[in-house]
Amino acid sequence: MRGSAALRFISTPVILTLILVALALIAVASGSRPFNQTMIDIFLRVILVVGLYIFVGNSGVISFGHIGFTCLGAYAAAWLTMPPMMKQTLLPGLPDWLMQTQLPYWAGALIAGLWAAVWAALFGRILMRLSGIAASIATFAMLAMINSVYSNWESVTAATSSVVGIPIIRTIWPYMIAAVLAVVIAWAHAISRAGLALRAARDEPTAAAASGIDIPRERLIAFVISGGVMGMGGALFAHSIGVVTPDTFYLTLTFTSLSMLVVGGMGSLSGAVLGVVILSSLIQALRWLEAGVTVGTSTVSIPNGLQEITLGIVMIMILAFRPMGIFGNKELIWPPARAVKPDQSRPGQ
Amino acid sequence: MSLLALSNITIRYGRLTAVRNLAFTLAEGEILFITGPNGAGKSSLLRAIAGITPPVGGRIDFAGAEITGRAPEDIARMGLSMVPEGREVFGSLTIEENLMVGTGMHAKARNWRSRAATELAAVYDTFPMLKDRRHSQAGLLSGGQQQMLVIGRALMTNPRLIAIDEPSLGLAPNIIDQVYDRLIALRAHRSLTLLIVEQSSTRAMLVGGRMILMRGGEVLLDGDARAIGQSAAMQAAYFGYGEH
Amino acid sequence: MSGLLQIFFDALSLGSLYALGALGIALIFGVMRLVNFAHGDVISFSIFALLWPSVDAVAVVFAGNLPWFALIPFVLIVGAGLAVLLELVVFRRFRKANPATMMIASFALGFVIRYFLLMLFSSRPKSISLLPSLSQPVEILGARVPLLQVITIIATIVILFGLTAFLKRTRFGLEMRAAAENFTMARMLGVRANRVIMGAFALSGALAAAIGLILASQTGTVDIQMGAAMMLMAFIATVIGGLGSLPGAVLAGFLLGGASVVMQVVLPIEARPFRDAFVYGAVILVLIIRPTGLIAARGMKERV
Repeated sequence: MRGSAALRFISTPVILTLILVALALIAVASGSRPFNQTMIDIFLRVILVVGLYIFVGNSGVISFGHIGFTCLGAYAAAWLTMPPMMKQTLLPGLPDWLMQTQLPYWAGALIAGLWAAVWAALFGRILMRLSGIAASIATFAMLAMINSVYSNWESVTAATSSVVGIPIIRTIWPYMIAAVLAVVIAWAHAISRAGLALRAARDEPTAAAASGIDIPRERLIAFVISGGVMGMGGALFAHSIGVVTPDTFYLTLTFTSLSMLVVGGMGSLSGAVLGVVILSSLIQALRWLEAGVTVGTSTVSIPNGLQEITLGIVMIMILAFRPMGIFGNKELIWPPARAVKPDQSRPGQ
Repeated sequence: MSLLALSNITIRYGRLTAVRNLAFTLAEGEILFITGPNGAGKSSLLRAIAGITPPVGGRIDFAGAEITGRAPEDIARMGLSMVPEGREVFGSLTIEENLMVGTGMHAKARNWRSRAATELAAVYDTFPMLKDRRHSQAGLLSGGQQQMLVIGRALMTNPRLIAIDEPSLGLAPNIIDQVYDRLIALRAHRSLTLLIVEQSSTRAMLVGGRMILMRGGEVLLDGDARAIGQSAAMQAAYFGYGEH
Repeated sequence: MSGLLQIFFDALSLGSLYALGALGIALIFGVMRLVNFAHGDVISFSIFALLWPSVDAVAVVFAGNLPWFALIPFVLIVGAGLAVLLELVVFRRFRKANPATMMIASFALGFVIRYFLLMLFSSRPKSISLLPSLSQPVEILGARVPLLQVITIIATIVILFGLTAFLKRTRFGLEMRAAAENFTMARMLGVRANRVIMGAFALSGALAAAIGLILASQTGTVDIQMGAAMMLMAFIATVIGGLGSLPGAVLAGFLLGGASVVMQVVLPIEARPFRDAFVYGAVILVLIIRPTGLIAARGMKERV
């Protein structure tokens, strides 16, 4: 051990960063616009799934609500970065100071992350007192609540209509940097005292409580950090397409992010990142098929919806045959000599 | 011919071995006490016999058929009725409903309704207290009454063998006497085979019959309850001294 | 007076839907500790089974033209059949899994059903006219109430009484109640696990189909999302009522319906669009005050 222990210690975020950088370089080297956009989507999903992992992976509590923070972040980015002219017509109810503000996208994204984290702290204060299934359903209620407010608050969110005019960022680097940032934040939290305590509480709740771990508090810390990452992801999501609607950040995105986390392995940061890469490749393949592939002289296409159906089936199969996901609780480490043994824990209590 | 036969039974929970290579047979009409200190593997053994946690190795035969790894409901339907530890009454159901749950296994038989009614009358005869409160919720009964109820509930299925886990747990001594009086009377009356798990061997020595003493997942002694009760090996098993 | 009566009927009919939905979720949770997120999509599926696959805005009706006495059983059987199929193909494999794993699996399964419908019918809402004669209003004590609303309320009451009688008076109902309280003990008394679970799924599916039928006749549209919105409220009712408690689910369903309608009336105009948000918020508060719900189900402690 000794020398290699320290190396291993930081090897996980380094390996994951290298993977992300490699993906970005491939996209740039390819020079293809659509491929570039695909890679941006992957980085966005990495941010969201890693954000979800920070809470779900470490606490073992399934959250259906995190996409709510993404929604908060996306709209915050819209408020902060859209040209004042556009805001005046689309979002007339914004306060004057916000109406006049127009920040660069990166500053907007950081503030959006903070904004989401503040809300995560407010919601978390209440929600983290619950555990198990009641907690999961309460997070679902939170998502529905956020969606319901954003779908109806005509003057500041344009209700269900699209908010357009958000500056679109097409270069891949900001997304890659944000994804790397998310990985580093997740890793730093996981090895921090709070992260260790939370995992201890996930695996041995009684023992952890007996040794003085304040479970609601540790959960709250993870909830706030993950909420912040989800918010930042939401802001960049908004900049990647330039349009936001409340329903973009609702059940379907919740489903996609959860499925990627589950497939990769709920208890593993590497699993979160690679779950995204694996399932995104699958989604991309299905998208090509949905758009139609030319075979000889005829175009073959599969019907819309098959993408989600396949994703759902893959998720169910993984849950049935490998409930710990592809990675379980293991991480990618270097040197890879001995893999860390997965523990017997499972999500939830 | 034996009614119940176990051979080479090994039970594991994860890495923990609860019972290893255990074997015994039980003849029809016999009364067998399985005793031993905490953690001896007694309850695990009963759970394996009832099909709740199947053994990882070995074979269990009941009434001439192999039951290893079969579903609990199948085993129950063959006439092996299990009364688990902690009594487990259906608290929100009435006493009479509790008693009736198990009669469904004979629903295919002809005139099962009248037979169930006869059974019910017989159980009420044995436990008159149950009849008095037949329409009240089982959750409201005292520990001793619940113990009567679960024994009565097991009887309703008209079993050939009743396996009871710690019938005296948490009951006052005079109530334990009552429970055992009923059990012994029933056995004589119906030619029941009884398999009773108790932590203490006192009851086995009082009642008499066969006794198996377990420790650390193995059979230590197997023989007449009164003879074993007085042996030195018995003391050793509970208090840990002696060569074992 | 007639205004109050109108509110009362609105609350009762909305509460009926929530109560039926919550009941379907509680039935399954009771016997197998599954929080069934696919329930809402069973609601949508049962109604789409009345249509031919098409992407048109007006539904191309297939079995929807049946007279009511054939239409209702058809829909109920479709719902029950789908729910049983889900149990056989998917949930049976998760019997020994922990509740969280089952919950995510059902969430995924719901999506599979929803996108299957999308594949056949597109995501566009369709107009449909089911049982059109029921939309005329009737006068009750001076209030004009749509006939359908009255029928919804009566149907719910009939279903509730029927279900109670079924659970209390029949052998299968007895076995189901026993299994919901202590599954292992019920099996040790010879109760067949598969039969009870399939029965619970069939009942729950039929309840889902009944909701679908009512929703489609009330709104005159069908939409692949229609079940999902319903399901969320039904879930919340199940949790408030105490997961697994059937009377609790029904009570909470009516409370939730009542709360929604009352909020719609008493909230200031500008806050009304946020009615649902207030309801969800209230729910979170209820959970904090009583994490086990209003009526805690028996036998829950050792298993959750």
